[in-house]
Amino acid sequence: MSQENSLEIKNLNIEYLTRSGTVHAVKDASFSVAKKETLGIVGESGCGKSTTGHAILKLLPSNARAKGEIVYKGRNVLTMPEKEVRHLRGKDISIVFQDPMTSLDPIMRVKDHFLELMRAHKPNVKEEEVIQTASEALEAAGVSKKRLDNYPFEFSGGMRQRVMIALGIALKPNVIVADEPTTSLDVVVQEQIMEVFRHLKKTKDMSIVLITHDLGIVAELADKVVVMYAGEVMEYADVYNLYKNPLHPYTQLLLKSVPNIKIDDMELHHIPGSLPDLKNLPPGCRFYDRCPFAKDKCKKEEPPIFKVDKREVRCWLYE
Amino acid sequence: MKLKTYILMRILLSIPMILIILTIVFFVLRVLPGNPVLAMLGPKAPPQIIHAMEHQMGLDKPIIVQYFIYLSHIAVGNFGTSSYTSLPVLQELLQKFPATFELTFYSMIIAVFIGIFLGSYAAYNFGKPMDIFARVYSIFVYSFPVFWFGIMLQLIFGVWLHWLPVSGRSAPFMIPNHIYTGVYTLDAILNGQWDVFTDAIKHLILPSFTLGVVISSIFVRMVRSNVLLSLSSQYVTAARARGESEKKILFKHALKNSMPPILTIMGLQFALLLAGAILTETTFSWPGIGNYLITRISYRDFPAIQGAIVFFAFFVAVISILVDIVNAWIDPRIRY
Repeated sequence: MSQENSLEIKNLNIEYLTRSGTVHAVKDASFSVAKKETLGIVGESGCGKSTTGHAILKLLPSNARAKGEIVYKGRNVLTMPEKEVRHLRGKDISIVFQDPMTSLDPIMRVKDHFLELMRAHKPNVKEEEVIQTASEALEAAGVSKKRLDNYPFEFSGGMRQRVMIALGIALKPNVIVADEPTTSLDVVVQEQIMEVFRHLKKTKDMSIVLITHDLGIVAELADKVVVMYAGEVMEYADVYNLYKNPLHPYTQLLLKSVPNIKIDDMELHHIPGSLPDLKNLPPGCRFYDRCPFAKDKCKKEEPPIFKVDKREVRCWLYE
Repeated sequence: MKLKTYILMRILLSIPMILIILTIVFFVLRVLPGNPVLAMLGPKAPPQIIHAMEHQMGLDKPIIVQYFIYLSHIAVGNFGTSSYTSLPVLQELLQKFPATFELTFYSMIIAVFIGIFLGSYAAYNFGKPMDIFARVYSIFVYSFPVFWFGIMLQLIFGVWLHWLPVSGRSAPFMIPNHIYTGVYTLDAILNGQWDVFTDAIKHLILPSFTLGVVISSIFVRMVRSNVLLSLSSQYVTAARARGESEKKILFKHALKNSMPPILTIMGLQFALLLAGAILTETTFSWPGIGNYLITRISYRDFPAIQGAIVFFAFFVAVISILVDIVNAWIDPRIRY
């Protein structure tokens, strides 16, 4: 693909080996993130979006097995030696986690987190330089630099997430992975954190991989969207076309389930049924059980990716 | 509450604690059969002599009166005189204490070292051979009786290999010229007597290793389970995501966050050992507090036993206050 992509994911497969069997968390996921682009990954809980996000930094737990390619600057992160991956983390690719309450080390000052981040990549960095960089990053994330000497427990959840974002952007990475950055926060704070991301998108030259189940956030911020279901990419399209004309039945139902106060529809739509067991997957389409358009073929054969005018969709309807 | 106020509170609170322990020991000793006079004079002594001695020692007074007399003495720091040696108890305790302290100190160094490193690496390599080794080690060592392990080491390194002495604190005449602290290794260094120092170390190796290894089992398990818990925290993954090295993740994040409960256990263990590692001291004929207590129990030396117990309670109180201070220093969330 073109040189403009900052991140390319090809045929990513991730399995978790557990005592009760192998969990097929991600299957054959392929997508790319262009420079300065925001890619949204959406799907319900347990569909493999966070696993994909963590795999980008090779942060999966030790019982995970990842195959395929995650190409950054022409190299596959998955096969890179641990020591080299370490130098990408935080400097080239960074991540903001779902739960800000537990993401900061409780016994370290905010300043020490920045010190650690910068020392990891530049061992003899001066403290003034760290404070300078940290102050700028905190300012960009909406935290006063006066709070550098505070401990995490002295911050609210929203403020901690701002600190995490500041840590994520401090070294001006090319890619920042935001793994459900607002999920554990209350609505008002969610909006404030999204404001930070809006600001980052406008002012910083970096690609954002935004993992969320909030379709509203994706509609607003993302340029391209990956819709995942049970570990598979079901639809991959630019945000405008995806919302205007969703192709995959799952995407259609997902968009329908967003409550809309503008139309006179008081019913709350949901998708009946639940995710298939990832340890024991059916042979056909993974969405078969819940799909209103399911055919016989869907039960027997797993659909491949079909291309429909530059968009990708995994459904037999588009054969 | 400020740390200073807290420490003051803790000191005040340890007074009733020591008082309760003292009361229990005082009454239990007197309820149990036997008393110092009988222990000294033997079963065939004529009753009038027994009565005369009991009167002289105040043992014929009602127990409650004896109790308040003792309390009034303790309150001004008077531990009484030993009924066995007629020496002041406090002086005897202070004379025995450095030996116990020295043994405990070196044992703790060994135990903490094994505990921290084996425990941390086991947690880091959860489920791998290193972890399995640590688990087997701690169960195995925990089930060692101290005296059996001590005797085995004496047999191997003392009797068979002739590498190390098997008992006592020093060889004859290998005593520091000038006693500053009573801790031989320290006094030898202060005096510049290197032969005395080497001799003291040689005598320390077997007992401190015996004790250190046996205690290390608890430390290994404590450190392992606490570090395991910390390693699964989000902040560990977050530190890794900042590019931190695995070694720093293990020691700077996981271990340091696990320290408060570990330190509490280590501190209590240290205090318990200062109270006399009775079995170890007996096995190695170590002239410390543990040995002292065992001897005095057989002579029903009431003031000595009571004094020793108050002494122990004092150390437990002091060390647990120290542990609290260190914990507050490590973890900023701990406020008193």
